[in-house]
Amino acid sequence: MLEKQMAGHRVDRSICAWFWDYVLSQGGDPSMILPVIASPTHYLFQLFRDGIIFLACTQVEMPPLMGIEFLCRVADVLTDYLGGLNEDVIKDNFVIVYEILDEMMDNGIPLTTEPNILREMITPPNIVSKMLSIVTGKNSNVSANLPDATASCIPWRKTNPKHSSNEVYVNLVEEMDAVFNRDGILVKCEIYGEVQVNSHLPGLPDLTLSFSNPSILYDIRFHPCVRFRPWESDQILSFVPPDGEFRLMSYRVKKLKNTPIYVKPQLTSDAGNCRVNVLVGIRNDPGKAIDSITVQFQLPLCVASANLTPNHGTVNILADKTCCWSIGQIPKDKSPSLSGNLVLEVGLDKLHVFPVFRVGFRIMGVAFSGLQIHKLDVKNTPSEPYKGFRALTRSGEYEVRA
Amino acid sequence: MFHQFSATAESLSKASSLVLRIGTDAHLYDDPDDVSIGPLLESRFDSEKVDALKRLLALLAQGSDVSQFFPQVVKNVASQSLELKKLVYLYLLHYAEKRQNEALLSINCFQKDLSDTNPLVRAWALRTMAGIRLHAVAPLVLRAITKCARDPSAYVRKCAAYALPKLYDLHHDEDNSSFEELVDILLNDHSPGVVGAAAAAFKSVCPSSLFLIAKSFRRLCEILPDVEEWGQIVLIEILLRYIIARHGIVKESIMFSLSTMSTTPVADGFPTFSGTSGNCQTLVGTTCDVNMITLMCKSYIDGQIECFAQTGCSNSNDDKLDLSLTSSTNDDVVMLLRCTSPLLWSHNSAVVLAAAGVHWIMAPRENIERIIKPLLFILRSCQASKYVILCNLLVFAKAVPPFFSQYYEDFFVCSYDTYQIRALKLEILSIIATESSIPIILQEFQDYVKDPDRRFVADTVAAIGLCAQRLPMVASACLEGLLAITFYESSLSSSSQIDGEAGVLVQAIMSIKAIIKQNPDSYDRVIVQLACNLDRIKIPAARALVIWIIGEYSVIGQIIPKVVPSILNYLAWSFTSEEPDTKLQILNTAAKVLLCAQGADSLAFRKILSYFIELAKYDINYDNGRMHHEPGGKILNGKMHSSISSTKSSRIYLPGSLSQIVLHAASGYEPLPKPCSLLNTDLTAGVVNETNDSDISSGSSIEESGSVYDSDHSSISSDDGNESVNDSNDTESTALAVRNDVQDVREKTLVDVSNVNVCVDDSNENTKGNLSAFISTDLAELMPKLALESWLDEEPGVSSIQTTQQASSGRISINNLNCTVTPKLHSLLDPTTNNGLRVEYAFSYEISTISSMLVLVEIFFENCSSEPIKNIALKDGESSLSVESSDQVLGESESLLRTANVPPVLSTEEIASLDPGQRVKKLIEIRFPHHLLPLKLAVTCNGKKFSTKLWPDIGYFLKPLSMNTSAFIDHERQLPGMFEYSKRCTFKDHIEKIAPVKDDSSIHSDKIILLSQILASKVLSNCNVSLVCADIPVSFNIDDASGLCLRFSGELLSNSKPCLISILVEGKFSEPLVLTVKINCEETVFGLNLLNRVAAFLQ
Repeated sequence: MLEKQMAGHRVDRSICAWFWDYVLSQGGDPSMILPVIASPTHYLFQLFRDGIIFLACTQVEMPPLMGIEFLCRVADVLTDYLGGLNEDVIKDNFVIVYEILDEMMDNGIPLTTEPNILREMITPPNIVSKMLSIVTGKNSNVSANLPDATASCIPWRKTNPKHSSNEVYVNLVEEMDAVFNRDGILVKCEIYGEVQVNSHLPGLPDLTLSFSNPSILYDIRFHPCVRFRPWESDQILSFVPPDGEFRLMSYRVKKLKNTPIYVKPQLTSDAGNCRVNVLVGIRNDPGKAIDSITVQFQLPLCVASANLTPNHGTVNILADKTCCWSIGQIPKDKSPSLSGNLVLEVGLDKLHVFPVFRVGFRIMGVAFSGLQIHKLDVKNTPSEPYKGFRALTRSGEYEVRA
Repeated sequence: MFHQFSATAESLSKASSLVLRIGTDAHLYDDPDDVSIGPLLESRFDSEKVDALKRLLALLAQGSDVSQFFPQVVKNVASQSLELKKLVYLYLLHYAEKRQNEALLSINCFQKDLSDTNPLVRAWALRTMAGIRLHAVAPLVLRAITKCARDPSAYVRKCAAYALPKLYDLHHDEDNSSFEELVDILLNDHSPGVVGAAAAAFKSVCPSSLFLIAKSFRRLCEILPDVEEWGQIVLIEILLRYIIARHGIVKESIMFSLSTMSTTPVADGFPTFSGTSGNCQTLVGTTCDVNMITLMCKSYIDGQIECFAQTGCSNSNDDKLDLSLTSSTNDDVVMLLRCTSPLLWSHNSAVVLAAAGVHWIMAPRENIERIIKPLLFILRSCQASKYVILCNLLVFAKAVPPFFSQYYEDFFVCSYDTYQIRALKLEILSIIATESSIPIILQEFQDYVKDPDRRFVADTVAAIGLCAQRLPMVASACLEGLLAITFYESSLSSSSQIDGEAGVLVQAIMSIKAIIKQNPDSYDRVIVQLACNLDRIKIPAARALVIWIIGEYSVIGQIIPKVVPSILNYLAWSFTSEEPDTKLQILNTAAKVLLCAQGADSLAFRKILSYFIELAKYDINYDNGRMHHEPGGKILNGKMHSSISSTKSSRIYLPGSLSQIVLHAASGYEPLPKPCSLLNTDLTAGVVNETNDSDISSGSSIEESGSVYDSDHSSISSDDGNESVNDSNDTESTALAVRNDVQDVREKTLVDVSNVNVCVDDSNENTKGNLSAFISTDLAELMPKLALESWLDEEPGVSSIQTTQQASSGRISINNLNCTVTPKLHSLLDPTTNNGLRVEYAFSYEISTISSMLVLVEIFFENCSSEPIKNIALKDGESSLSVESSDQVLGESESLLRTANVPPVLSTEEIASLDPGQRVKKLIEIRFPHHLLPLKLAVTCNGKKFSTKLWPDIGYFLKPLSMNTSAFIDHERQLPGMFEYSKRCTFKDHIEKIAPVKDDSSIHSDKIILLSQILASKVLSNCNVSLVCADIPVSFNIDDASGLCLRFSGELLSNSKPCLISILVEGKFSEPLVLTVKINCEETVFGLNLLNRVAAFLQ
């Protein structure tokens, strides 16, 4: 299914057909396609997200990152509005999608992309409005008034949110990127983290957030609401938050020495057979339970058949030769292992390519980088709000080469 | 619906989604047509109208044309319901341009809405009014924008700014001043949101009116962090352009340090700055690639073409650089840098890259490093942007590798990266590797070699080779690794053929070759090892490479000369079973060995060589068969392999630009303005600097052609290509270099004489070809000296005079060649397959008067039998089938064909009877499904039906378009970049025709005119185009045809788009000529197919 929106000069729909042909000619996997493509008539930017391809085209010079970022933003906003992205959900709400796109982009220039403002202009679909539409037979998702924030100098916040609640949650979500090389040595280990804030505060609150150990932050990026000066001088985050959930800051912590779990794959091959043995265990106890542990790897193309059995958890081998071993939590009494045999294709004696094992896990309650929030001050609110803090570490690009 | 509730999980989920979808618009999307929309639109209730409009929107989203409801929809524009209004607007925006008259009805409503109390209504009215693109209302829109630019609501002002480009797009021929005035007002707005929008308007309406920025520069800088992210991207770029135009390049920046360094050697006087450049050199360090940065900053400022043109004439350059300097303490510069540096923390990666671009160009060298970390951090955002960022990082890394050398870890490949990202990372890694980081990087590479993606492994192997070349200390270690890979791969590929392994093996040997080349003497053992494993290496390309290496270094060290004879014996034994490529290299190697051989050996070698040549003579492959005529030229084939590994073209565009990603200048791309081109008088008077404008635009319009040249040039001078020659004879190579210079000079004069940009282009290609011609003749020269005259029929020494003579060449252009056109006859029906009816066809030069889809074909019926044939008719074969096949292949033309509704064959009446020997000509009009696909036809005669196929000739999908040379060049310039493609081929037909004239010492131009005639008639016999002109170089050399250029023009039958063909000739009359065919055409697919066709019939 193809959605589409015009701005300025008309772009013929046939460009989509061209794009499909191109995708097929490149192997048919949209996630492997270059994000910037020069077609005979247009330059295309494409983004593949959750099975939906977002395509933008231009005929003139423009920053390609701007196009891609915008598509990302569209995808984010739609996901936010529709509670997920898939073909059905877009079909169901195509009018809203059209209205959102019209509001986000005007004549090829992004217009309103702040989710807070958009929500005020176009009401997101929800159960209540659905029910209402069934009962009364009419519904309008277009707001009658222009959000005041469009005029204010903090365009990310509605001016007058009404809440029964008075609370703010700060969430540290960290993703661990690690690479073990074929000798089992940790080549690279770093944390990509985000400070996610969910704020439901009345009025125009002014927040300051400080860390106990800001020096470990290697790289940082901020939401536009963060004031630069206080960070530059005191490394304090001072901001007027948008309403609802948003990403206040993202950061990177480099050169970590430890990983919470170890995965030790062993592959030995001779005479057309390959013996596989994968061991998983806790290397460095973070103090909280490690759950949702998975190990995933792609069997090499030259493997004819595979027979793998785990002593814990389940193993699935998919049609594209992806092997998924879901372990869950590591049991106390034994360390999980996966062993089995791969039969190589006829004529091949030894395995000459080795798979990369992607590891997934999740640790609730721990920010593995060690980043600690010192305190959060809220000013300019009628009463002291409830403040909540949480942390989560999960695996990012965590891989072990066999 | 009941059956859906069966027990499978799948249908359960379907059912649940059905329940969830109640109350949404899904039913509207799935069956928008289930009720008739018309009456709904006429309904009294808003809700029903909304329903109708949603259905229309659904149809519209699915691509169907629902413009027939336009009048009914327009009526609803006056509605008070906002939702209805919004939907009507969405519909209007989509169809207004098509239904201009009806759309005018809505204008009054917009006018009324513009004074509504609700700012949202005002904004929507303005957006829609500007968006419907009606020429008639442009003045009204302008008035509306003027009004809204002073609206109390910032949102409306923002929309006013957005409306400006729309109106400008519609109407931009009129006086620009009213637009500039509006942009000025909006830029000075106090709301950051409006300023961002105004920046976007500025960029599309008046990008060169930088004086508008002057008065509010500081305010703009201050407001920059508060502007919304999309506005920031545009505003940063505008501010950067302003600074360059106003103050010039910063003295302490990379741009300056390098441009002086680069100009110093060319312009040998540069006393004032020589000190500075020296400093910079130490600052930058020894590893910094000066050429690269020179190229970079020149292309930033001048665009590609001018940066080349300036290298020779440095005088103007001096002045400009003198003027254009400013120091990093300049207040404006400091301001801009200060205000953009917090943007490096933006969560929008496009903003980060834009801000980094400013620092890259403007910041003092020692402060640039601060942009590196943010740039590396945005790599973690999303896969799509990762690629774009890496493309930009690659340029930065190439320019100043030390900046990145400590961050090598960030470029390590992980399994989540796509192939393109991996390739970019590898390239960056091989550039930034230093002596301290190389062990870790190599360790990492060792892991990559075992990756399942073999294409990536091949790239890794290439990267190892590059690292070894850059860092000689690891060369031997790398070589060992590469040898191990080679042996391993060769053992693998012998046991079973696996995809991609061949690529790895070939790449490994190529890397080995590159390393050996740096220091052949110390690697003789490696060569011997390779040679000993020759029989295990089965892949032809890899074998060819190894054989080349043996030939190249046959006299190095002590061991190799000893093993060479046995290798040659082995090759002699295996010659007949080798692939053509390998055979070429065997011949090549044998010849080289013979050249270097001394004493008794040479006799044996000579025997082997003549044995090879004897074998080659009877080779099926024409190339090989022909080789014994000109082994000198063929030795060059070694270069074919080496050029694969040569680095990608070094085209550079501004950081963050689209052009940098697609590596050609996208339309609308402009390099930075000329330093200090914005004069103080402009600022005070507020007048547009017109000269400056035109300057810039002309620069960008011909950019593409220049950049093509640029890459060509570098590939020549990189001496990668001609290494095979150079290495074998040092003195010869220096001589070559000298010639190269001469060549450059010649080029200059050529450019000056003709003063036409296209000529620059042509002569450039010319040089390239000539150079290779020189190389080959040099070799030819070399060989007779070594007593090989026996099988060489070339005269030595001809070419050496040639260059000097060419230095004084001019051009004559003629456009009236009396050439004969003989259309080719194709056979449609062979008399032997039926009862003696021969049907032939030729494409006609006439143009169909019925439809532009039709191609006229002349059909000749001839009775070859002894009896009369009756009732001959020509019909469309299987109409249904041909439509189907057209469906599969056709893209854009498909819809055209459908609407045209023309039958495939407009056949003529039957031929009642055809007597023996009689020949009848009929003209039919044919609509081909595609310019490459045949049309099935059926010939009936005597009541029998013979089906056959009529193959289209792409050359006849054109009609002649007459124009003069300057119009041609104009058109050519309008079709740069992806609309221009070229191909080389050899042309031999002239030899026999010109040969009789050869001894006759009549004037050279006769020969060249004859050649032009031959070429022109060849083209005109195969394409329905018209000859524009033939440019004939005036040369004193009798045998040289180089520089002859023929131009043809035509337009596409289907859409009348121009299609230009240029043919450039290189080489000598007495030998096969090398032709470069270039086609400029907007229809890329058609153009490429035509190019192949032209190249095919010329060959």
